[in-house]
Amino acid sequence: MLPHPDEVQWNGTVNGEEASIFIESNAILLDVLRDKIGSLGTKRGCDMGTCGCCSVLVNGEPKLSCLTLAIDTNGADITTVEGLADGHHLHPIQQTFAEFGGSQCGFCTPGFLVVISALLSNNPQPDEREIKDAIEGNLCRCTGFQQIVDSVKAASEILVSGNVVGDSTSPKSDPHPGFGGN
Amino acid sequence: MAEEEEDSVSGDEIIGYRQQPGKLPFSRPGSGGKNRFSEATDPEKIPISQGGSLEQPWGPHRHDELVSGQIIGKPTALVDSSWKVTGRAHYGDDVRLPGELIGRIVRSPHHYARVLSIDCSKALELPGVVAIATGEDAKNRFGVLPVTKDEHAMAVEKVRHAGDLVACVAAIDEATAREAERLIEVEYEILEPIHDMRKGLDDSEEPIHDRGDYHIGESNIQKRVFQEFGDIAGMSQKSIASHKKSWLFAGVNHGFTEPHAVVANWDPSGRLTLYTPQQVPHYLHRALADVLEIPMHQINVHRTFVGGGFGGKSDPFPHEMCAAILARKSGRPVRITFDREEVYWVNRGRHPSRIEMNLHADKEGRICGIETDALIDGGAFASFGHVTTYYNGVLHTAPYEIGAFHYTGARVWTNKPASGAMRGHGAVNSRCAVEVGLDDLAEELGVDPITLRLANLLPPHSATITGFRVTSIGMRDCLERVKEESGWDKKFRKLPLGKGIGIGCGFFISGSGLPIHWDPNKFPHATVHLKVDMDGGVTIHTGAADIGQGSDTVVAQSVAEVLGLPLDMIRVKSRESDTSPVDLGSYSSRVTFMNANAAISAAMKIRDELIDATVEITGAERKGLVIGDRRIFLKSDPAVGVSYLEALHKAQEDRGALVSSGAYRTPPMGRTHKGAAAGLAPAYSFSAYVAEVTVDVETGQTKVDKVWAAHDCGKALNPLAVKGQIIGSCHMGMGQVLSEEMRYGRNGNLMNPDLLDYKIPSVHEMPEVVPIIVESNDPEGPFGAKEAGEGPLLPILPAVCNAVYDAVGVRTSELPMTPEKVFKMIEKRCRNEGVSDPTELECPSLQYSELQKTLEERGEKHKSRDKERRLDEDRGDYYNGALFGLDPSTPPDEVDPRWEVRVTPDEVYLASPRLAGSAWKHTERRHMEGTK
Repeated sequence: MLPHPDEVQWNGTVNGEEASIFIESNAILLDVLRDKIGSLGTKRGCDMGTCGCCSVLVNGEPKLSCLTLAIDTNGADITTVEGLADGHHLHPIQQTFAEFGGSQCGFCTPGFLVVISALLSNNPQPDEREIKDAIEGNLCRCTGFQQIVDSVKAASEILVSGNVVGDSTSPKSDPHPGFGGN
Repeated sequence: MAEEEEDSVSGDEIIGYRQQPGKLPFSRPGSGGKNRFSEATDPEKIPISQGGSLEQPWGPHRHDELVSGQIIGKPTALVDSSWKVTGRAHYGDDVRLPGELIGRIVRSPHHYARVLSIDCSKALELPGVVAIATGEDAKNRFGVLPVTKDEHAMAVEKVRHAGDLVACVAAIDEATAREAERLIEVEYEILEPIHDMRKGLDDSEEPIHDRGDYHIGESNIQKRVFQEFGDIAGMSQKSIASHKKSWLFAGVNHGFTEPHAVVANWDPSGRLTLYTPQQVPHYLHRALADVLEIPMHQINVHRTFVGGGFGGKSDPFPHEMCAAILARKSGRPVRITFDREEVYWVNRGRHPSRIEMNLHADKEGRICGIETDALIDGGAFASFGHVTTYYNGVLHTAPYEIGAFHYTGARVWTNKPASGAMRGHGAVNSRCAVEVGLDDLAEELGVDPITLRLANLLPPHSATITGFRVTSIGMRDCLERVKEESGWDKKFRKLPLGKGIGIGCGFFISGSGLPIHWDPNKFPHATVHLKVDMDGGVTIHTGAADIGQGSDTVVAQSVAEVLGLPLDMIRVKSRESDTSPVDLGSYSSRVTFMNANAAISAAMKIRDELIDATVEITGAERKGLVIGDRRIFLKSDPAVGVSYLEALHKAQEDRGALVSSGAYRTPPMGRTHKGAAAGLAPAYSFSAYVAEVTVDVETGQTKVDKVWAAHDCGKALNPLAVKGQIIGSCHMGMGQVLSEEMRYGRNGNLMNPDLLDYKIPSVHEMPEVVPIIVESNDPEGPFGAKEAGEGPLLPILPAVCNAVYDAVGVRTSELPMTPEKVFKMIEKRCRNEGVSDPTELECPSLQYSELQKTLEERGEKHKSRDKERRLDEDRGDYYNGALFGLDPSTPPDEVDPRWEVRVTPDEVYLASPRLAGSAWKHTERRHMEGTK
């Protein structure tokens, strides 16, 4: 039988929802989020802090969840990619990532989105240098970063304008077009 | 009869159905979709030949009449992007099934060893361990190519590289599985490993694989190629300038962000569902059936979202077999997820290679000969290597017209993780060598390197020296665009020391002409099914594997365009082999070309039925009807028409949902010599890049400042995705040229199997890329499209190499060009020139020779030749060789005795072969004396 680490209680808020669970005392935050909380949007790319795919916000600060002991986040307010949208109203950066090609295969996307959302909440109008500095810990192998930077600029414009991204599930004014009416 | 019918509906009075009579311009009734009125049909997207305003400098296309102005050519977000940006896209490791076990793999610590025994007893005693499997459980071989099946699920007899699979274990959690991994005791007899690819050419006591009768000598040569085309004897006689360089290219890895992961589950009915991020689900499907010894119909391969592929997820993999075997043994679902290190053990990255490149130019500045010798390091398994060995040669027979082509290539097995297909498969390294060679050749001839290229291009609709049928060529436009936009003439050889500008070109296949498993003349390469039910939405079933490049999107776009529907009315089902028609997968840049063509042909059948129904409702004449935005109407009088749903429901009367199937198959092409099919494609992409760099002469640090990247993708169906591919390719290629390398130590150990030491450029190293899309409107491509996924990677390497030469006057022969290497070259140059301070080195300069003018004139002449050829429907044949005075209308080897076509070496060559060429010194066992 393997020696088992102690189980300890972990309390925290994940995407606005309070969680109180038992975890192993040496558990890594990434594992807790994926395996216990069910935040499968938080990705494991390298397990050693080199790719940024596992980034989450801990009390608003971007952290690499693969290098964070879960126990150190006891009582924290954690935001993962699943917590960025407001219901079906996407965060502007989610919307512009799609529109401007910031996401291709999409595996690094959650990490980028989380880091950028933190950037935009602190600095709604970052310049190019600030954008690059913010995402320097995130690796994307598909896009070559350029379209990610474009997405951030576009999201910044939406944020500044105060507009809210629409909800794709809202009722249509004419859900059965093409039948009579004209 | 037909004429009578037409007569009856022509004339002033239109009989039948008129919506909103007298109200023009007609406002279109919507028929579904998010908004009642989706975006208006865009005349700028409709070709002039169809009454729109889209200019067609390359002439009309057979799909023009299908253009409804909806979506083709508009920047379009990927159809699955909302899943990705919300974190709800599920990749391999995100598939969680109730009762799952965690699988781990026991890997060899030795480079090469015989497995004497495996003792699992201690591991099996560990509480929580449910199943263990070894090579004994799956003895059948597999491999992506049927001709070179040399892999097992786990070692049978031998392990062939450090990290090779020996056994696997399934346990209730990861900690237990890792502990069990440690408890499995393996006894090895260590064998002498081979790490240097050159040694692979020699006879060995214990070759890494045994190919039986087809084994080449007792060596580790997996594949060898010899090709000679053209005026081989004349090439050196006529040469007035030549380039010779021996290159060493380090191996590189795909570096996708998602590590491999797989989930296997046998359901109560005895069927296996395998969830895996795969580029080639169908090949995996076949391999699983072979290894598990069950019929294919008992297996459902479920492709999850794929977190980057780039060729690295395009083999059936042993760990996929392991998961299936463990799940079978344990009766529970098994999930295996790789550590990042394991990704490097399975590898399949670009081959480390040694390439000798010789180029010759004659007095008229024609490229009278290319001689290439490429030795490539295949690592422990064959993978796609059979093809790679050809691609290293045949994929540089264009875009230039050449007088002679000599290629010797060999791929050897070594005790390293296997090399395989990676973006730009087989073409990247030798292309870099050719393009750097041309730069050197131009300097020797005293001409501008872009002028040299422009004066030696093959025309559109021609045949290369190896007999590839090339259709559209946008190469000239690519070169002219980057030349103009980069301000080339003001910069080339005129920038100060440390600043440089360079050019590079590329040529790549758009789909492979040969489907691996069957006769292309019998079975299609791609099949797409459509289903349109009463709701009006269109369901597409395709097996094309979306790996992030946007294949789901392009197939949806094609169908939406033909049926005049907004994109949100299309849903793509491409995940499961149970529901998707067979597709070969995402490799060889084939998906847009083949799948979109199949999708168009399926959509045309639905379109015909909708138009038939419209004729029935309105009585309008069929040939005048067009499809616009969710409406089918008379082009000459848009008020006459019906909404899409009305037509659809009419068509569904008495039969229910409309279904159709469309397929794509390549036309018969190419020549008949051995290996003629390798590199054959229904179309080819072309690209030209100019890179501007800054080199710190005191440290050797190279920074790419800006790249002008022109790529001829035929027609950009989704310009957003095309630009993404171009910029992403620049990023990946820049990594290979400047920093990325799978670094093996003196004892053959991989030193950097992680993303910290394997140096992928970060956002700070990434230059500004100006993507320039050139649309050559390929006659056979879907709406004119070709590929954009791989070709755009090729030119960045030589462009950077050439720019570094322009900046500091040194030419590398090793990649990656790390600061140390550049610094050493600068140091050497200083020594040679007696300069003590590198900042006082002179920049390379260029004095035009008389040839410059000749080449400029020839380039201009060819420009109008090319334009005529692409617009002239009745153009004659053009065989490579015409530039050298031969008749363009016949293959030169049929009329000119000097023109050779040879695929085996003669004794003269064998007397002094080049490096890879020496592979031909061995005899295949079946031809040896004393054996059969």
